[in-house]
Amino acid sequence: MSFDVQQIRKDFPLLSRTVHGKPLIYFDNANTAQKPRRVIETVDDFYRRHNANVSRAVHTLGEEATSAYEAVRDKLAQFINAKSRDEVIFTSGTTQAINTVAYSYALPRLQPGDEVLVTTMEHHANIVPWQLVAARTGAKVVPAPITQSGELIVEEFIKRLTPRVKLAGVTHVSNVLGTINPVRELAKACRARGIPLLVDGSQAAPHLPIDVQALGCDFYAITGHKLFGPTGTGVLWARRELLDSMPPFFGGGEMIRTVSFDGTTFADVPHKFEAGTPNIAGFIGLGAAIDYVTELGLDRIGAAEHALRDYTNAALKSVPGLRLFGEAKDKAAVFSFLIDGIHAHDLATLLDHEGIAVRSGHHCAHPLMQFYGVPATARASLAFYNTHAEVDAFIAAIAKVRKLLA
Amino acid sequence: MIGVAYPAVRTLAAARYTLRMTAAAPYHQLVLEHSRAPRRFGALEHATHTADGANPLCGDALHVDVRVTDGRIADLRFRGEACALVRASASMLGERAIDLDAVALAQLEADFARLVAGALAQEATLGDLNAFAALAQYPSRRKCALLPFATLRAALAGHVTATTESKPPESSLQEKT
Repeated sequence: MSFDVQQIRKDFPLLSRTVHGKPLIYFDNANTAQKPRRVIETVDDFYRRHNANVSRAVHTLGEEATSAYEAVRDKLAQFINAKSRDEVIFTSGTTQAINTVAYSYALPRLQPGDEVLVTTMEHHANIVPWQLVAARTGAKVVPAPITQSGELIVEEFIKRLTPRVKLAGVTHVSNVLGTINPVRELAKACRARGIPLLVDGSQAAPHLPIDVQALGCDFYAITGHKLFGPTGTGVLWARRELLDSMPPFFGGGEMIRTVSFDGTTFADVPHKFEAGTPNIAGFIGLGAAIDYVTELGLDRIGAAEHALRDYTNAALKSVPGLRLFGEAKDKAAVFSFLIDGIHAHDLATLLDHEGIAVRSGHHCAHPLMQFYGVPATARASLAFYNTHAEVDAFIAAIAKVRKLLA
Repeated sequence: MIGVAYPAVRTLAAARYTLRMTAAAPYHQLVLEHSRAPRRFGALEHATHTADGANPLCGDALHVDVRVTDGRIADLRFRGEACALVRASASMLGERAIDLDAVALAQLEADFARLVAGALAQEATLGDLNAFAALAQYPSRRKCALLPFATLRAALAGHVTATTESKPPESSLQEKT
């Protein structure tokens, strides 16, 4: 079966709308991805026919909701090749996943002088939670440097894995640069020193096959809305023994075994970390998203995105005065850039007027912006449903904006 | 000659605003003109008041020098690194603010804030600043056009810094098709 992008686009209702009278060109996929009809209809169907709370009602609707919801855990376990479904914790997204590790794993362990090692290219979600627990423990957050082309300097990362480091965190794919980090190599170095490694997989899961066992990391965080699923869904994966050693982050319903005023015992993983009523419809929708991308084929998605990446890269390099941030050898179709004399927000507003959605700003990565000495960049991030014709229209629109602001 | 010239001038003036009204382009021709060649940009000697406006999330940094005589703005200069909307707004404000006192300036700022929020169709006293009316459709960019006003107001009030980044953008779910 060939990869018929025009046919695939029909699966995404939003892609057919117009913006300012122009056909929408959605190049903000690293921010959030659009949803296939199957996801939208699955969520709709849940509320129309099966809506009930999970794990607490014995009536038919409760059984249906619980069964559909828990089936998604199996799907996600398979999707990331977890050893067990119990290692798949449902969260509201990557941010909650990382905060869970910060407060349940790191906070009880960190001592004054300890370090959490991250990289300069991290999203704030993989910096700020560590800073918050570091402030309470006297530990500190240390960055490993990157090159001007946006690649992690692996030997510098490994050099910083001293006995002071109690946990390391790295993004699998940079949301600003598109850089794909060598997670296996980093995990191996961490493992050899007994340092657990957390991988922020927000940007990776939509583009790469994820195999947490092969990667050799200890924690892996995913967000559902970038994976063509609903917002408010995500996963924390961790090795079972780590999860068993961690106290709950949130307390409440669902996560307990028995509660009395003399003491409370907690449920086993994964429910120990899932207090309160979850985003049931959202997760069931995420299950539909996983089915969709799996049926489309991650290898075929990867091939289509590589072709788009190379085409876009060459096209952007032909634009006079354009500075590209992130030219790693191994990268996703994410392009941060600035054009001489043009503010990123001016560019984004004027491209929007041409129907083109790109993000402008700091991309929740202030330290990375500081590294490059710029306050903001424009960013085009592509997905498999984007086309070469859209890239052509994007390049033509950039030329128009340059002329307008020159 | 007068009979010919008068309608021509009027047509030109009308055309300027017609462009904004119909195309609803985010950047009116006047905004582009002012941003390319901002008026009253540079340093001012013998400034009596001065302030720095900054929207760090955007990366906009604006400085204003003002010379106040008898309670009125006698002269002013903006300078800094900023987007086209900040530059154009500073340029137009720089022209408009001469001879105003703090009360009149506050009224101008209030009118301008209502204009960019879409709550005011057009206001004669705003002059070229009316070209920012399209920002009614771009809530996230209003803070750019408002930064020069906040910076000038801060300078007159004796404050050192100003920003327009504290308020979150207003939400809107209307389709801009």
